[in-house]
Amino acid sequence: MSNAPVSIALRRVSAAFRSPEGATVAAVRDVDLAVRPGELLTLLGPSGCGKTTTLRMIAGFQEPSSGEILIGEHDVTRLPANRRDIGFVFQSYALFPHLSVFDNVAYGLRVRRKSAHETRTAVAAVLALVGLGDLERRSPSELSGGQQQRVALARAIVIRPRVLLFDEPLSNLDAKLRVEMRTEIQRLQRRLGITTVYVTHDQEEAMAISDRIAVMNDGRIAQLGSAEELYRRPASSFVAGFLGRANLLPATVRASSGGTVTLDVCGAAIKVASAISHSLGERLSVMIRPERILIGPPGGPLDGEIVSRVYLGEKAEYVVQVGGALLQVIRADPPEGETLAPGARVGITLPRDGVQLLP
Amino acid sequence: MRLVAERASERARPQRNHFTRRAFVAAAMAAPFVSGKAGAAGSLNAYSIWPENYARPMMEAFEKASGIAVKFVRFSSGEALARVAAEKNNPQIDVLFGGPVETFTAGQSKGLFEAYKSPSFGDLPSRFKDANGQWTAIADDPLVFMTNSGFLKQHNLQPPGSWDDLLNPAYKDMLQMADARTSGTAVTRIFSILQVHDRNEDAAFAYMKKLRKNIQSYTKSGGGGTLPVGLGQAGGGIFFIVDALFTRQKGYDVQISFPKEGIGSAAECIALIKGAKNADAGKKLIDWATSPDMQSLLAPNKINFIPAHPKVATEPSLAEVLKGAKIIEIDEAWAGSNRQRIIERWIAEVLNAG
Amino acid sequence: MQGDPLRAGVVVALWLLLGLFVLYPLACLLIRAFSDDGGFTLGPIVGALGNPTHLRALRNSLVLASLVGILGTAAGFLFAYAAERTDMSRNARRLIDFIILLPLISPPFTTSIGFVFSFGPRGLITHDLLGMQNAQVYGWASTTCAEALTYFPLAFLALRPLIAAIGGDLEEAGFSLGGSRWQVFRTITLPLTMPGLGNAFLLIFAASLADFATPLILAGNNLPVLPTDAYLQITGMFDLKGGAVLSLLLLVPAGLVFFAQRYLVERRSYVTITGKSGGRARGAGATAWLRWVLWAACAAVTLFILYLYALLAYASAVVAFGANATLTLDNYRVIFTEGVPAIKDTLIIALIGMPLGGLYGVIVGYLIARSRGFGRHMIEIVSMINYALPGTIVGIAYLIAFNDQPFALTGTATIIIACYIFRYSPTGIRTTVALLQQVDRSIEEASFSLGASSLRTFRSVTLPLILPAFFAGLGTVFIRAMTAISATIFLVSINWTLITVRILENMTEVALGPAAAFSVFVIVVVLGVTSLLNVALRRMTTLRVSSLGTAS
Ligand SMILES: Nc1ncnc2c1ncn2[C@@H]1O[C@H](COP(=O)(O)OP(=O)(O)O)[C@@H](O)[C@H]1O
Ligand SMILES: [Mg+2]
Repeated sequence: MSNAPVSIALRRVSAAFRSPEGATVAAVRDVDLAVRPGELLTLLGPSGCGKTTTLRMIAGFQEPSSGEILIGEHDVTRLPANRRDIGFVFQSYALFPHLSVFDNVAYGLRVRRKSAHETRTAVAAVLALVGLGDLERRSPSELSGGQQQRVALARAIVIRPRVLLFDEPLSNLDAKLRVEMRTEIQRLQRRLGITTVYVTHDQEEAMAISDRIAVMNDGRIAQLGSAEELYRRPASSFVAGFLGRANLLPATVRASSGGTVTLDVCGAAIKVASAISHSLGERLSVMIRPERILIGPPGGPLDGEIVSRVYLGEKAEYVVQVGGALLQVIRADPPEGETLAPGARVGITLPRDGVQLLP
Repeated sequence: MRLVAERASERARPQRNHFTRRAFVAAAMAAPFVSGKAGAAGSLNAYSIWPENYARPMMEAFEKASGIAVKFVRFSSGEALARVAAEKNNPQIDVLFGGPVETFTAGQSKGLFEAYKSPSFGDLPSRFKDANGQWTAIADDPLVFMTNSGFLKQHNLQPPGSWDDLLNPAYKDMLQMADARTSGTAVTRIFSILQVHDRNEDAAFAYMKKLRKNIQSYTKSGGGGTLPVGLGQAGGGIFFIVDALFTRQKGYDVQISFPKEGIGSAAECIALIKGAKNADAGKKLIDWATSPDMQSLLAPNKINFIPAHPKVATEPSLAEVLKGAKIIEIDEAWAGSNRQRIIERWIAEVLNAG
Repeated sequence: MQGDPLRAGVVVALWLLLGLFVLYPLACLLIRAFSDDGGFTLGPIVGALGNPTHLRALRNSLVLASLVGILGTAAGFLFAYAAERTDMSRNARRLIDFIILLPLISPPFTTSIGFVFSFGPRGLITHDLLGMQNAQVYGWASTTCAEALTYFPLAFLALRPLIAAIGGDLEEAGFSLGGSRWQVFRTITLPLTMPGLGNAFLLIFAASLADFATPLILAGNNLPVLPTDAYLQITGMFDLKGGAVLSLLLLVPAGLVFFAQRYLVERRSYVTITGKSGGRARGAGATAWLRWVLWAACAAVTLFILYLYALLAYASAVVAFGANATLTLDNYRVIFTEGVPAIKDTLIIALIGMPLGGLYGVIVGYLIARSRGFGRHMIEIVSMINYALPGTIVGIAYLIAFNDQPFALTGTATIIIACYIFRYSPTGIRTTVALLQQVDRSIEEASFSLGASSLRTFRSVTLPLILPAFFAGLGTVFIRAMTAISATIFLVSINWTLITVRILENMTEVALGPAAAFSVFVIVVVLGVTSLLNVALRRMTTLRVSSLGTAS
């Protein structure tokens, strides 16, 4: 088996389930996706949006109701899971409870009829790699959650699969361990260079670990891109809202000329760049990240009233009522002695380059 | 089965160990699924209605005398006959051995038997054979009253000497006897009662209904009540003499008596099954069983049947018990043709009257 | 896995077997009962329903089963409550476990034999102990009590985990909110146990409805019941069709019980879910006086059961029970000479049926737990039919179906083995399903993802995880093969006979000693084999069963 990383391609893949009442539920709809060789691509989205189903179709646990799936050059749509050469890390880890750590990790090698010697060395090496060298005789039930996670990882990578698949692997760990493990997974993935699809509903995790992120919503891919692209230029209010926090505000077109539009946002006139021209009076929606909004003394073009303030050390979060809208505002490192109690009047500035027009 | 296993293990020996085991297991598992035992000339199959402890010494003696291997299972008369009837299209046995004549007349009417007259046929009185040789008697077995001595003493009673003695309220709920649905003993008893009442059915049934009040339990088999009577759990009952004497032999303190009006007796018979796969061996068993060869073995084995063959003398202590007993003859032809109707009437009017 | 040819093959093979050994015999039975000279007729069944004797037997069967169900459930609850909610000593708890086991592994008649000797005009208890003169043993009271004693372990086994689950936290929550002991029992313990009680009642109801052996010995003349009557109709009246019709009268109540039970078991799950955390506080349930009442009641029942088995052992070791108390090994000599064919046949049949039944149980259980849709429900229901039906029906159906071509199996061991497998594997099936519901499906998918085929996955991942179910299946099939009679009494033949049938013959032929000796032998063998199975299971599952499932 060549070690060159492979690509994964999904072509108009759909999946449907039959609900207990007999109705058909579309879990994945017409997904097109190309995972580049060697990259770590994350499927991100709210619970129930079809991430797991997509991943399980790539793994071969589930057959698409239509569409095709390619791993490398090969159409694997009808290939059973055990012949796709994948490594899968489950949310529940799915360690074999009746086998020791060693036997768990050796399982895939034994299925592949590797010699005992080869198996020993490979298992020892991979356990060392995940930092579990001395636990191979233990049974899974004698391990902590983090250790179980590492065994699951070791078991998946020891067979040197062409594709690594992770389904919310960190969701059963506590916050600190999550951060530690995601770094580890990223380190390993980089090192092995295996094409990887990673499923999570945690945007921070997704942004930390991924080369690219595919945001899913309601069975479709809403947007695909690097973390920064998605954050800075969300293609929809859904993506904007899901990745980071966003103020979504209605806007009316005041003027439109040669690549710029002047918008009325909460009564303030703001110019933003736009590729298409808009007619006067057209209603649009814009997105402003909370940390881009500036709070100052009242009396500016936009005045508002503080509704709430939460002090969080490195930052403070405010909700400000401006006209009919409630704005989320984040102020990094608020000055000592600042006393913006609810009811206080403040001036708000929307910086021109912080306002993003949504289609 | 052993052969198959051996051959299989031989073939497998050069190979790895678990192959041997697998082959053996396979052979062992396959063996019981193989049906039809080949009808080798030297073997035969039989259902015995005689209990195991009576039939076994007889069959063993026959095996020794003839060299024919006998395989038999014991069933109660009704069950044995039901089986033979069910297997009619595919007979599993060759000979039906032992059991009261009424079972055989019932089987005869269903066409289950093959006529065969053994060499002893001519020596037997007509009561002991079917004219066409459908069945032949190998022994005689009269009914008796058996009572628990302790019970009699406690209630100041003599052993019953008349059918009417059994109607004494002292016996209320204390008599056990067989259920006519399953037991030949019961059928013989009912026909005895009919005979005593000159086949006046209404009178006979009136008597049985009165007797019903004293019945503690009708048992599935003819001898079923002997142990309770022996133990005193029941006061008495009507049984075949073999069962009664067997109870006494085991040490239970029981009295045996006969009604002065007379009581019936059942010829114990043997018959060849129609379509028997080992008919020749079966005929040899019938020849042997109907002859003095077998019947002279009854007494030494403490089996208290009365030999059917006139040339075999009744054992003296058995003859002593029988002294003064009035044994009446039941018309087998009439009994055979009325059996079903009488039993149904008994179920409806007597059994379910309680 | 999707579209797996191996699984498809297994499903097809399974349906062929279910068709042959479940549906076909039942169809033959129905055809026999409803056809007359080739035409369809309701005549026989209408006739049976119009016959006061048979109606009476049906009514008796239902009333008896209800009484036994109530009594047995009460006794099972009592034992379960005492075992789980009082601070009983370890040895006492062990003794209870053993006592509970005895009736489950005993051949039929065991209790009945003891009753016949103990009650009645000269009974050891009624006469010798209590000095009663005219006590009668045959009838309602003794049949009900004997059956309740035989079947209450079913209720105990069903109720015990439930009571353990409800204990501790939930009751303490009740107390903390100010409830009195009685209030807590009435408003928390009882309602939560209710579905379980219902389930236990139905289990016993069904067992009693199908019981043929106890009424045969103890019912006497005034308590005809259907299974016994159907048997007598066939063996006594040579009336196969009449027996078939009678056995069919049992079909309706048996079917109702089956579906009622399924309903209850499905609803019950909420208790077991909440129960996971609650099983801690043993002994937190009962006050001192309540504890003593519970213990006294359990001790009385326990002593009585021990007494019955001591009686059995005694009867097997004396020359003539009640007349000659000389100790002898004669009865054992008899069963190890004359009885050898029966012993050999029974053991061969049990030992072949055991692995086949165990395997069948886990395979069917696996298919039920791991497939979706309509086929799965069909398999689930069809595989339960022979278990839900009274043995008399199954036996008669087999007798009718396999007597003639094209499947002439009468006289073979196959027919008996098949009867056991398809009738007694549901324990294995249910345990498998229950275990698999705890095993996260992803554990099997992990194996696929690592390259293992479905066969390999089943063998090296699934099977080890459901090993306890496999062994439960092995054990049940073996125990039933050694002890059951109601169906197989119709299937024994000249070539293959069974110990239980010999016991019945001996019982009815006054050969009480050999009957008792056979019974003791069966109990010893079953105890031995089930202990071996337990040891083997413990050896093979080094990792605790409770660690199954997912990490949390
Ligand atoms: N086995 C199943 N049967 C029926 N519906 C399912 C099944 N698995 C998933 N679904 C449905 O498909 C949709 C997508 O599920 P899933 O892919 O698990 O979402 P995610 O992993 O993104 O949370 C959900 O609406 C879910 O209810
Ligand atoms: Mg998911």
